[in-house]
Amino acid sequence: MKIITTPFSEEVIADLKVGDRVLINGYIYCGRDAVLPKICQLIQENTLEQYGIDLQGSVIFHTAVSPAGIGPTSSNKYEIENSFIPLSKAGVKMHLGKGAIGKDTIAGIANENAVFAVTPPVTALFKDNSSECELVAFPELGMEAFYRIKVKNVPAIIAAAKNESIY
Amino acid sequence: MNQDIVNKVAQTLVDAGSTFLQDKKDAYRKAIETETNPHAKWVLETILENAAAAEKNKSPLCDDTGIPHVVLDVGKNAVITGEMLESVQEGIRQGLRTLPGRPMAVKGDDAQRLSQSEGLFEDPGALASAPFLIRQTDADKTLAHILMFGGGPAIRAKTNRVFHQHSTQVVINEIIDWAKESTKLLGCTPCTLAVGIGRSHYEASSYMLQALVDGNYHEQSEMEAFITQEVNKAQVGPLGLGGNHTVLATFMKVGPQRASGVRVVCLRPCCCFEPRIATVEL
Repeated sequence: MKIITTPFSEEVIADLKVGDRVLINGYIYCGRDAVLPKICQLIQENTLEQYGIDLQGSVIFHTAVSPAGIGPTSSNKYEIENSFIPLSKAGVKMHLGKGAIGKDTIAGIANENAVFAVTPPVTALFKDNSSECELVAFPELGMEAFYRIKVKNVPAIIAAAKNESIY
Repeated sequence: MNQDIVNKVAQTLVDAGSTFLQDKKDAYRKAIETETNPHAKWVLETILENAAAAEKNKSPLCDDTGIPHVVLDVGKNAVITGEMLESVQEGIRQGLRTLPGRPMAVKGDDAQRLSQSEGLFEDPGALASAPFLIRQTDADKTLAHILMFGGGPAIRAKTNRVFHQHSTQVVINEIIDWAKESTKLLGCTPCTLAVGIGRSHYEASSYMLQALVDGNYHEQSEMEAFITQEVNKAQVGPLGLGGNHTVLATFMKVGPQRASGVRVVCLRPCCCFEPRIATVEL
């Protein structure tokens, strides 16, 4: 089990391979179907800074954030999977969710030295492991807005790295 | 309003969203004992650990707390009134606020709800339940079964006709093929397959729901065990990471059938937490 802390360096990510189990610590971003295309739009417009978003070395956890807690949604949903490559080009190092993703996505994130990790949908355990929830952008989306939270030892398995996949 | 029913239903909804029934815990323990893939074993252990934490804290098993579905078993001499149904609805509202449920009721008129253009209600209690299903029973009491249906299985579920060619095996093989396809994409395996077979799409879906109410991990029919065994051969495994436990069990209910070459089959590949169910006597 590797314990890793955000923001991730290029070396930390380069050291990860498919099947590695990790415990993620530090600040991570949360977003899913509704907001990730909007974040990609901000990247295109070069306006991330206006929202205080720094994607360098970051994790995007594919989850809603609500009083019910957090937990991974399917990463192979259209809007989410389409965000992998543009987000990786903008500095995201880990996409965290669940479900198999396509070959083009696996190759695309490998080109940017980014990885895809999956985590069990263990909301009750996440509740004990997360704190400091901050709404970062697009509050009108409610639970589907872009959030930043602090996590401690969130468990995950590397599912895609270096153009290889666990699926 | 009957406050006793309101309170009972609210508590039952919280139980459904936070607590594994004993047969499900047993199924997980058995799977952990027999799983040979280390990643799969770790996922199964983590899910069971999560269930223990959720039960202890009475907090959601999953952040997708689900859409409430209610099945009422009404005894031969029992009476159901409009006030009782209203009280069940109020109990659901209060249970969703207590759990808490995810605030995911969509605002707006028909077109706005389809496009989700008006956003979401902040109140978890604004989430409407699915229409109630009422069954007759011989008992002199009325039971309310509350089930919480998550979105992932709804994406992968399928209701369609099967041309049976006068062979049970043709129907079963079709279910196995659908299940192999859907569990590969589900993400939240190991799943429990819920199957209803009827004469119309409505009837098949209704039997699928009843299968989840009546199903038990300790009691598997020959057909249910065969489906589970065949789907597990695909080795999708927990969280899709490989292993022997793609499916923990199959709950199937076969209703009356039409005198024709067609069977209507509803398959819901329920996620690793489903059926999220609890029952109360009203």
